[in-house]
Amino acid sequence: MRVLLAFLCLSLGSVAIAAEPLHFRDLYGRGGDYSVIAKEKQGQKIRVRGYMAPPLKAQAAFFVLTKRPMSYCPFCESEADWPTDIMLVKTDEMVDVVPYNQPIYVTGQLEIGTQVDPDTGFLSKVRLVHAEFETAQ
Amino acid sequence: MNVNLVAKSVVTAIAASVMGGAMAADVVQKNDQWFKDGQATLQQKLNTPRINGMAKNVILFVGDGNGVTSNTAIRIYKGQKEGGTGEEYVLSYEQFPNLALAKTYNTNAQTPDSAGTASAFLTGVKTKAGVLSISENVDRGDCQAALKNEVTTILELAEQAGKSSGVITTARITHATPAAAYAHSADRNYEDDSALSDDQKAAGCKDIASQAITSNVDVLFGGGRRHFIPKTMKDGEGKSGKRTDGRDLTKEWVGQYKNASYIWNQAGFDALNTEKTGPVLGLFNSSHMEYEADRAKDKGGEPSLAEMTGKAIDILDNNKKGYFLLVESGRIDHAHHEGNAARALEDGSAFADAVQAAMDKTYQEDTLIVVTADHSHTLTMQGYAKRGNPILGLSVGVDGKGHPSDKPNLADDGKPYTTLSYINGPGAVKGERENLANVDVTDLDYIQQALLPMSSESHAGEDVAIYARGPKAWLMEGAVEQNYIFHVMGYAAGLVK
Repeated sequence: MRVLLAFLCLSLGSVAIAAEPLHFRDLYGRGGDYSVIAKEKQGQKIRVRGYMAPPLKAQAAFFVLTKRPMSYCPFCESEADWPTDIMLVKTDEMVDVVPYNQPIYVTGQLEIGTQVDPDTGFLSKVRLVHAEFETAQ
Repeated sequence: MNVNLVAKSVVTAIAASVMGGAMAADVVQKNDQWFKDGQATLQQKLNTPRINGMAKNVILFVGDGNGVTSNTAIRIYKGQKEGGTGEEYVLSYEQFPNLALAKTYNTNAQTPDSAGTASAFLTGVKTKAGVLSISENVDRGDCQAALKNEVTTILELAEQAGKSSGVITTARITHATPAAAYAHSADRNYEDDSALSDDQKAAGCKDIASQAITSNVDVLFGGGRRHFIPKTMKDGEGKSGKRTDGRDLTKEWVGQYKNASYIWNQAGFDALNTEKTGPVLGLFNSSHMEYEADRAKDKGGEPSLAEMTGKAIDILDNNKKGYFLLVESGRIDHAHHEGNAARALEDGSAFADAVQAAMDKTYQEDTLIVVTADHSHTLTMQGYAKRGNPILGLSVGVDGKGHPSDKPNLADDGKPYTTLSYINGPGAVKGERENLANVDVTDLDYIQQALLPMSSESHAGEDVAIYARGPKAWLMEGAVEQNYIFHVMGYAAGLVK
């Protein structure tokens, strides 16, 4: 078991090293448009630090990645304002949900372009597909 | 013993005062630069005259959530951005001669909210959390009772005296702090009519945005377009409105005042003719304006807080009777709520620039400028970082000889920590905290670690600072109630009988 875990860690590590680390702000330009970097890195594997938004449904192979924990502020908002710069993360396996404020690193293939998911109706502009994630330790 | 010591010091001080320089002793450290600087500051203070004339103009700056710790961090951040070690930096308003501490509690809350605090410094009376410029007799949400318990604001008094008025914020113009200047509401969340029930509307209760356009304010700059247009309408950036009564308040604004204009982007802002324009409604975002760190990416373009301040003064000073202007940096608070110190400090830096813009455009002989915060946050600046350590960075201290170290200080869990952290907020995780050794903690999006897990970092209840310059600024001294700010402004400008 320990050997398997070690192998998994090495495997994740090697994926992480191969993928270029980028920030959310590297991908979005003015007014939520795609940045030059986003267009250049389309189809390539990237690594992004962020947070898993509370999932839309319990069992899913996707989640929304936010650059900051999505918090609701009772003193400042009558309703939550969702930022425009979010990413849809699609995984090959069901997602093990982590708390919305747990920093995570997501590695996946960058996809850009507006897409509406036929099952959930979720509209996304930036996606990380075939993605895997690890919690920041 | 302590009493005797105090008594002895008092006697010594009196004696020194009476005898003047004759008793002054020479000290060995007199050529030390710190000593010289201290003496220079002393002379400057001794030579600063009280300005006792009337304040033709009053400008109130509010750094929302900019408590004393936040302010210190902003000072160091701005100083380091400008190439210094940071600690010695002087923010624009830290040059002001007069300073007091404000007790911020609301009548029903030890730790306050922005609605109750803004009501206090804008009307002269404290009230409950969550309500805008109504007395404390009203329960939050009881809008019919609120109609009979409105209290007059300093902005309304200025208007009655024939002065011009303006309200600027980087939050929504209908948000708590700016709204308390021109509106009266039983709940800060009544930003448009969709938040009011049919019964409330039938009783004559009015939403905050509709009060904004009938308040006779000459300049309104901020965010919050969605509260001014119907939900069936899209704004200049393609975002829908929220109003359910079908009213387009931006259109009504232009129609009801002579030479009035409505602007929503940087181009419209730049095109304003400050000498000829009538009342201006500038709504630069559907919701809050962008954080200063993100402003360059706004679709339509947004002016900075300093630019808005400068332009508002250029418009308002056309009135020979003077003006009252409220300027709020509304999003220092929001970034703190998100546990994101980097954006809070960047907005705080822009706040200091806005005060500088006002200082550059006014004379202290006729303009009272007051700078304060409405409340504090749980931001803490801790550990033993060396002088000049990056304020957003890991805490790196000094070695045994007191020389700068290059190794991060470690907590008892063996992990490094940042100088800035929060007592509560989204940065607190279940289980062990993250090892920050290889994390870029200075990144704009980094969330500072926190102790208590809370989805939104909270306000804090300690006193906040008040800085003042101009006519009657010397009345700002001591530890005072927050509503006292109104009384100084009203007295200085001759607005309160």
